[in-house]
Amino acid sequence: MTGDGRGRAEMLRFENVSNSYGSEEVLDDVSLALAPQDVEVVIGPSGSGKSTLLRCVNRLTDIDAGEMRLDGQKLSGLDENELRRRVGMVFQQFNLFAHRTALGNVTLGPRVVRGLSREAARELGHEHLRRVGLADQADAYPGELSGGQQQRVGIARALAMGPELMLFDEPTSALDPELIGEVLSVMRELAGAGMTMLCATHEMGFAREVATSVTFLEEGRIVERGPPAQLFESPREERTREFLSRLDDPTAVDRGPGR
Amino acid sequence: MVLPATIDGCGHVVVGGSGLPIADLYSPVASTVVSGGAGSTAAAPLQLADWAFVWANRQFLAAGAALTILLTITSVLVGVAIGIPAGVLEAYGDGRLARAASQASVLLRGTPLLVILAFTFFVLPLPVPASRVSLFGSEFGIDAFVAAALGLGLRSAAYQAQIVRGAIQSVAPGQMEAARAVGLSTSEAIRHVIAPQALRRTIPGFQNEYTIVLKDTSVAFFIGLAELLTTGFNLFVQQSTAVFEVIIAVSVVYFLLTFLVNRGLDRLDARLAIPGEGGG
Repeated sequence: MTGDGRGRAEMLRFENVSNSYGSEEVLDDVSLALAPQDVEVVIGPSGSGKSTLLRCVNRLTDIDAGEMRLDGQKLSGLDENELRRRVGMVFQQFNLFAHRTALGNVTLGPRVVRGLSREAARELGHEHLRRVGLADQADAYPGELSGGQQQRVGIARALAMGPELMLFDEPTSALDPELIGEVLSVMRELAGAGMTMLCATHEMGFAREVATSVTFLEEGRIVERGPPAQLFESPREERTREFLSRLDDPTAVDRGPGR
Repeated sequence: MVLPATIDGCGHVVVGGSGLPIADLYSPVASTVVSGGAGSTAAAPLQLADWAFVWANRQFLAAGAALTILLTITSVLVGVAIGIPAGVLEAYGDGRLARAASQASVLLRGTPLLVILAFTFFVLPLPVPASRVSLFGSEFGIDAFVAAALGLGLRSAAYQAQIVRGAIQSVAPGQMEAARAVGLSTSEAIRHVIAPQALRRTIPGFQNEYTIVLKDTSVAFFIGLAELLTTGFNLFVQQSTAVFEVIIAVSVVYFLLTFLVNRGLDRLDARLAIPGEGGG
């Protein structure tokens, strides 16, 4: 279940990671490895520890036991800000800086953390806004943008730091259904361009199509992990099957082609 | 006729009693009361002689107003210098310092302003000369000014700290998290993300607080500082028939000053409003 033993370089590794909040165990002995360019989708009921799993990677949450490595380096030995420069994060609630324009959101990190000049940062910012299809919204404030646009700015903001790995914490869960597609298509393109991604999401279509591997997390434990086709079509574990059927149920009645 | 037993300085100060001993001690008040006739004071608002008396002494009142403005600015600055760091400390500080700041704030907010002023003027050994200086044509004691500015400033700091703390805590926690996630340190995040948003949200609170400080400078009457209310008082003890006229004149000046402060901060608020954000 851990390393896939294919001899490829490792981008990210969880080794027996545990984390508790008070007396409650949030992550329980989680082991997981991602190779470069992997897209790992984490599914599981709310409260299963998906967010915490992601937040451990950029140390927004500290782990209590186990070890984590980024590109072979121990996470605990890395400078926090250096680590966060290398790992981008996209939030469920977007969390755009409310007082800065779309461009200002994207340029803040490069300006302050990477020390870019105003001009260089602006150029970089425009480039990333173009990449997420928002070249024309550079001067708009978050409050003037739709949820889908805000989330795309969030992605551009993370990309502008030049990360090796991107974390997506339920990036479409706060969006109206008609706005989900534009965010997923940016994520799909990103995966196609070779970005290593760790995504907590309920978008099964995206998982089926883009993920190299899917992890089912429940009560902080990995119940099952496998390629999307296998995990979705023939889950080994009864609990995985139950979760998937519960997830499918509301749409089962009038289920479309669901590519 | 003659002096009212109670002087109400814009709804804040009530110097009770009949003898006005403290004002007598600190202000060179003329004891001769020039009677404006047998009529009562309040019943004759159109007494031209009394309005002429106010007009004739307009420079005297203007000097008081100038001192009021100076005292307001000084007190507000003392309040800002102490209150903003204290508010940040209360919001982010851990343990003893944050607790000390919040306890000092509670103590100051729970003490009447007159009591604070009595303390800073009569008790606190301030290292300032008791000599008198002349500014804008009005004479006042440096010690009284410093004591008033310190008392008003400390009390304002306690309230400003609350305004700042509340504003910081009203910024969504996701803002700090997102800033940290792109690699900003906590202090960089405060400077570039939290402070710009929080400071905008302090404006309505500051608007309120600054006008309160402005009006409460009238309490300095208690320690004989020749601010606006004191100059007004010194005028109508000279011509007691003009009490009403003088108080009206003084009130109008206070109103104009608070109005200007409010308008100015309204403008600032509108200017700094974030496009697309409700309320503004």
